[in-house]
Amino acid sequence: MFDPYYLQQLAIGLSQGVIYALMAIGFTLIFGVLNVVNFAHGEVYTVGAFAGLLLITAFAPPFLVVLFVVLAVGAALGFGLERIAFKPFRRFSDEASLKSRAMRESTLMSSLAVSIVAREGLEIAFGSQMQTLPFEYLINKPIAIGPVTIVTGDVIIFVVAALMLGGLQYLLTKTRVGLSIRAVSANPLGAKYVGIDTDRTIVTTFAIGSMMGAGAGILVGLYYGAIFPAMGFVPGIKAFVAMVMGGLSSIPGAVICALLLGLSEGLATTFISSNWADMVAYGFLIVTLIFFPQGLFGAGRERV
Amino acid sequence: MTVTRRTLVGIALVAPLSFVGTAFAADPIKIGYQLPLTGNTAQYGQDFKTAAEIALDRFNASGKLPVKVEIVYEDSRSDAKEGVAIARKFVDDEKIVGVLGDFTSGVSMAAAQVYKEAGMPQLSQTASHPDYAKISEWQFRNITTQAGEGPYNADWMVSKGLKKVAVIAEQTDWGQSVTKYFSDELTAKGGTVVMTEYFNRGTPDFRSLLAKIERAKPDAIYTGFFYEDGANFLKQMKQLGYAVPVFSTSAAHNQKLIELAGPDAEGLSLTTNFLPNSPKPEVKSFVEAWVKARGAEPGQFPAQAFDAVNIMLDAIVKTYPKTTRASVRDALAATKDFPGVTGVTTFGPDREPVKQLSKVRVVGGVFSPVAE
Repeated sequence: MFDPYYLQQLAIGLSQGVIYALMAIGFTLIFGVLNVVNFAHGEVYTVGAFAGLLLITAFAPPFLVVLFVVLAVGAALGFGLERIAFKPFRRFSDEASLKSRAMRESTLMSSLAVSIVAREGLEIAFGSQMQTLPFEYLINKPIAIGPVTIVTGDVIIFVVAALMLGGLQYLLTKTRVGLSIRAVSANPLGAKYVGIDTDRTIVTTFAIGSMMGAGAGILVGLYYGAIFPAMGFVPGIKAFVAMVMGGLSSIPGAVICALLLGLSEGLATTFISSNWADMVAYGFLIVTLIFFPQGLFGAGRERV
Repeated sequence: MTVTRRTLVGIALVAPLSFVGTAFAADPIKIGYQLPLTGNTAQYGQDFKTAAEIALDRFNASGKLPVKVEIVYEDSRSDAKEGVAIARKFVDDEKIVGVLGDFTSGVSMAAAQVYKEAGMPQLSQTASHPDYAKISEWQFRNITTQAGEGPYNADWMVSKGLKKVAVIAEQTDWGQSVTKYFSDELTAKGGTVVMTEYFNRGTPDFRSLLAKIERAKPDAIYTGFFYEDGANFLKQMKQLGYAVPVFSTSAAHNQKLIELAGPDAEGLSLTTNFLPNSPKPEVKSFVEAWVKARGAEPGQFPAQAFDAVNIMLDAIVKTYPKTTRASVRDALAATKDFPGVTGVTTFGPDREPVKQLSKVRVVGGVFSPVAE
């Protein structure tokens, strides 16, 4: 007899996976063009959630308005982040500097610094406790489908993630902006030589990626009803694992791996203790690095 | 008569120490307070700081001592390494005669090793791990441990006919003591623990765990969580449409839990030793001062911090002008029938507070005392 319990656990795992995927998309996109990890992505997510919170408490607009304003805030954050943490390290345009790993990887530190400043700043401004949200904004009304219960937020987040992924694929493959993003991602120097404005492309990528991060932040914040300064850390780690597993620069790969991660965490709670469920993600990371250094979907395909 | 150079040096080194606290009568007496002011648990530390400021302002205004008392706050971020570094710093400051804090049992116990070596009285408002007060004669606390709360809750649940219980707690020293003392008493009273599980503090999603609990079919759930995890847990339980009684410890007694979980917090039962709506004058005046500073009612933890500060100040008054670390320790150990806002407190010979627990349940959005 098929146990509805497992069906419920699968549904929970899938909804977790979609949340990780939402975060992983923006993360991977930015990695794709710059080849460095943007450590501030988790804080973009948090700031997005706080921007939504402020908007809700100040004006109480409809849900869709909140979402679009947060997306705009996210784009602005991406623009600012790129200015502060990444652009200063590209000020030399000679070939040696452009090829220098040290110059590129310094941004690991600068983005980490920005993320720490942002998080501590939020803590000073709001305190580290969870913020109280008006209950009517929460997207957690239960929906029963036979023996399985999901909530409205699962549907909303799934739809948003699917739209993002689809829109992004369209953007990358069918538009000139996408073409230049892929060109910079494949070979930044080459792209520069054929006349692509690499700086603008990078800024655009940051704006798009951060838009997605901020959108994910407010959606997950409303989904759990939990907005607090450290909220970006765990999803950031999970998205990072999904990105590495997916082959660092493959967006569909990262999404598939994020879903896998969510599902296996959900099931892990059944078979081992739930405080070990986090180990699943790190276990996957180690296994991937040892046996599939290129990632599960990384080898032999075009970047981004 | 041979006075060697070594003994002279020895005397020269020891002599100033014997004057500490008495020699500088005009200088303020200092208390160290180690607590998390930033990081993930900063909200608790900030609460303690507000409580300590209320207590200290009143004390210095009362003129019980001719000198001022100061509190030196150090931010431990709830990190054991930081806690130890702060402990060394406090020990090195000769003017500090006693230490309050830390917040968690883990950090308090790490720092306690330093205080034990140096001989510094340490009074934590919240460290409830059973082993904390056993570390040395210098450790005190102003919170009843799970050794008291766990059995009290188990008896309460058994008396209500809730015998099959699922026990969950956060994966910390404290969480483990929650499950241990509760489960021991429950089994002794003829109940069964159908499942025990730990979760990581700050887990955003409890639904997998809840589905697992539902499958174990308990009569009730006993939980060791703080208010944020508690609010998430209760909200998600409601989402999944799962309804069994939930019991918890005083750690969840916080107005923020009701604020965050809203109607989903209804029916949560827990034990506490602080009732903010109590008619006692000391409670009323503390709650008033707190509401003025913070705008909302205080939970149990700030109340415990307020009492801890007052107990420490009381010990300093008793020893003045011979206030040293050793005399403060002895005065703390002799604390008897201290009228605090968390009840009348007496330290037993094991340096554990003896307090009265009360039962409360969330009814209509407030923690309401129940007689069961």
